[in-house]
Amino acid sequence: MINNWKSKVTPTWCPGCQDYVIFAGLQNTLNKLDLDQDKTVIVYDIGCIGNMADFVKGWGIHSLHGRSIPTAVGVKMANPELNVIAIGGDGGIYGEGLSHLIAAARLNIDLTVIVANNQLYSLTTGQSSPTTPKGSKTKSTPKGVESVPVTPIELIKAVNPEALAQRVNCNEPLKVNEAIEKAIKHKGFDLLDLNQLCVSFGKQLR
Amino acid sequence: MDKVTTVKIAGPAGTGIKSAGLLLAKMLTESGYNFKDYSEYPSLVRGGHNTYQVSFSSGEVYSVHKMVDIFVSLVPGHWQEHQEEFGKNTLIFADNEGKNNIPFGKMCEQLGGTIYSNTISLGLISFLLDLDKNKNTKILKEYFGSDSVNIKAFEVGWQWGENNYRQKVKSQKSKVKKEKMIVDGNEAVGWGLVKAGLDMFVAYPMTPATGVLHFLAKNQDEFKIKVIHPEDEIAVASIASGASMAGSRSAVGTSGGGFALMTETISFDAMAELGVVYFLSQRPGPATGMPTWTSQGDLLFAVHSGHGEFTKAVVAPGDVEEAFELGKKSLNLANEFDIPVIMLSDKNLSESSANVRDLAKEKKEIVESKKVIPGKKMTIKMYNSYEHDEEGYSIEDSQNTLKMVEARLKKEKAVLKKMPKVNLFGSNKAKKIIVSWGSTKGAILEALKEMKNKEDYAFMQIRGLWPIDPKIGQIINAFKERILIENNATAQLGTLLKSQMKVDFEKVILKYDGRPFFPEEIKKFLI
Repeated sequence: MINNWKSKVTPTWCPGCQDYVIFAGLQNTLNKLDLDQDKTVIVYDIGCIGNMADFVKGWGIHSLHGRSIPTAVGVKMANPELNVIAIGGDGGIYGEGLSHLIAAARLNIDLTVIVANNQLYSLTTGQSSPTTPKGSKTKSTPKGVESVPVTPIELIKAVNPEALAQRVNCNEPLKVNEAIEKAIKHKGFDLLDLNQLCVSFGKQLR
Repeated sequence: MDKVTTVKIAGPAGTGIKSAGLLLAKMLTESGYNFKDYSEYPSLVRGGHNTYQVSFSSGEVYSVHKMVDIFVSLVPGHWQEHQEEFGKNTLIFADNEGKNNIPFGKMCEQLGGTIYSNTISLGLISFLLDLDKNKNTKILKEYFGSDSVNIKAFEVGWQWGENNYRQKVKSQKSKVKKEKMIVDGNEAVGWGLVKAGLDMFVAYPMTPATGVLHFLAKNQDEFKIKVIHPEDEIAVASIASGASMAGSRSAVGTSGGGFALMTETISFDAMAELGVVYFLSQRPGPATGMPTWTSQGDLLFAVHSGHGEFTKAVVAPGDVEEAFELGKKSLNLANEFDIPVIMLSDKNLSESSANVRDLAKEKKEIVESKKVIPGKKMTIKMYNSYEHDEEGYSIEDSQNTLKMVEARLKKEKAVLKKMPKVNLFGSNKAKKIIVSWGSTKGAILEALKEMKNKEDYAFMQIRGLWPIDPKIGQIINAFKERILIENNATAQLGTLLKSQMKVDFEKVILKYDGRPFFPEEIKKFLI
């Protein structure tokens, strides 16, 4: 299969990082669905997974931290013919930009949101995120996280029962592929929460 | 010189002062007068103390006057705090309070309701000003419907005037005026954006900028634009920027507090090179401040908004016509140079009306962006918030960084050439020059119009505030005496000019109580 979606830049993620699973799954799916490259825009958040902006060849915006969703909403509203995908981590989508996630889900705009959820801020070397389990000791919470974690699927279901909300573990790459395909094909808002573990800072969560 | 007449109506919120103002403006326009109006209201929906005032003339009128000729208190208790606006010939009407007693309460009772005082007062005012009764009745029928009690209420007010006031308020009859479109600053900005090919307007409501949102939302189908009200101001700016990437000519509207949230996106627009117009209508801060009052306190905030070093443009219209012109200009600048453009207004300009030429008939003027957009078979690009190369890939090497920083800053020179020029009123041989910006224009021109020694003064209104033309300093310095007038507490234009060119002012006139300058105050300061 010819892959049109790989840029000249070699990925910079840590060896063994499950972001490679998401990257491969996205390329496989985009190729399989044969999406028009000129009519597909991917908006990336800030964080490890957001760095995929450099590794994918295609129209895109590497937006600000937490703002991938509203930026993607703007792209879709300006030109509804475009396929629009937002990709970010648990920090950007469930933390800095949580209100945008809820608003986009309520709007039921035809947008696919993919979240690499490793329960940590990893690009900033391992602080607690909105999905870090309560009690976990991280660099920013040496005495343990005090908040209960966000539960994204339940949250989306609560604000829009019509939205598609999927949760898959990156340990199962084939299921990741299937879920990405289902998400992109879905008309209306969808969230794909991809559970993963950070190979560099994830040990803190044990 | 043509006489200027001023009428003021006061009462609590919910008594129809706004609609009375709107109707009076229409009536004056139909009778061929030029007018400028101004309203004051607290940030609440019922009660409090609201006012509407209008100054009109058969000649030019640049701003409302402080001193009123006719004052109407719609319910008891709303004239007392305005005594310094009354001259010896001012007619003050109030319900049974020892002034010119007009029995609004009884009249309303007889009409079978409580909120007809506003229309009764329009009848009285129309009689006193010798306006065309038939035309005015027609205006009321169009507004309320022909069988409305308000038509009777107008008649009641007119009759009461005829029975009690034989003498009319002297004002020159006007020739028929062609310019009949009544718009406020916010609507004029909306028209300007539309005439520069606006595709999308995004806003979160914030007084005094909300009028643009209301105007464009209401007319979105006719204008063939998308109008969006999202969850917060950060989303507002992000949506507009995303839309710009996909080829939309987009603009947002807000006041200081909302603009504060948008500053991260201004920086993003600069880095990703996306054109967006930020309409910022100022009100007094800091924080929530005084939402429904006026200020010029965000000039330096706008000029310095956004982290990092990059090119942006800041423009400030001085009146309704300029709000239209610079609305157009802003969207074209944003797209021609792919930069954030901030258009500064304030409550005094945004929510005050005037009659102008028919803006609907103005031609569209569109300068297209040269950036590549998806779906048009152009070269694929990544719009990146990180430092990047020309294709948009993130890159941090020294050579590329220097090149890209300089490329973003180099735009400034080209932008400066397209910035709105200063307005210089009066002769450059005058002894003194007044320098100001924004909505103070009206009160300054109105003051100068009426001053005996007006030949002594020139007036420079700076409309392009950033990047700022360094030649402005030479023009100002050629005058013997230099006077700065600003509607803020810290002389922000003065600071800006001093930082960019060698300019000093002999006299600085500042007002920062949430109220605009009135021409009478400026005259007093200048003498």
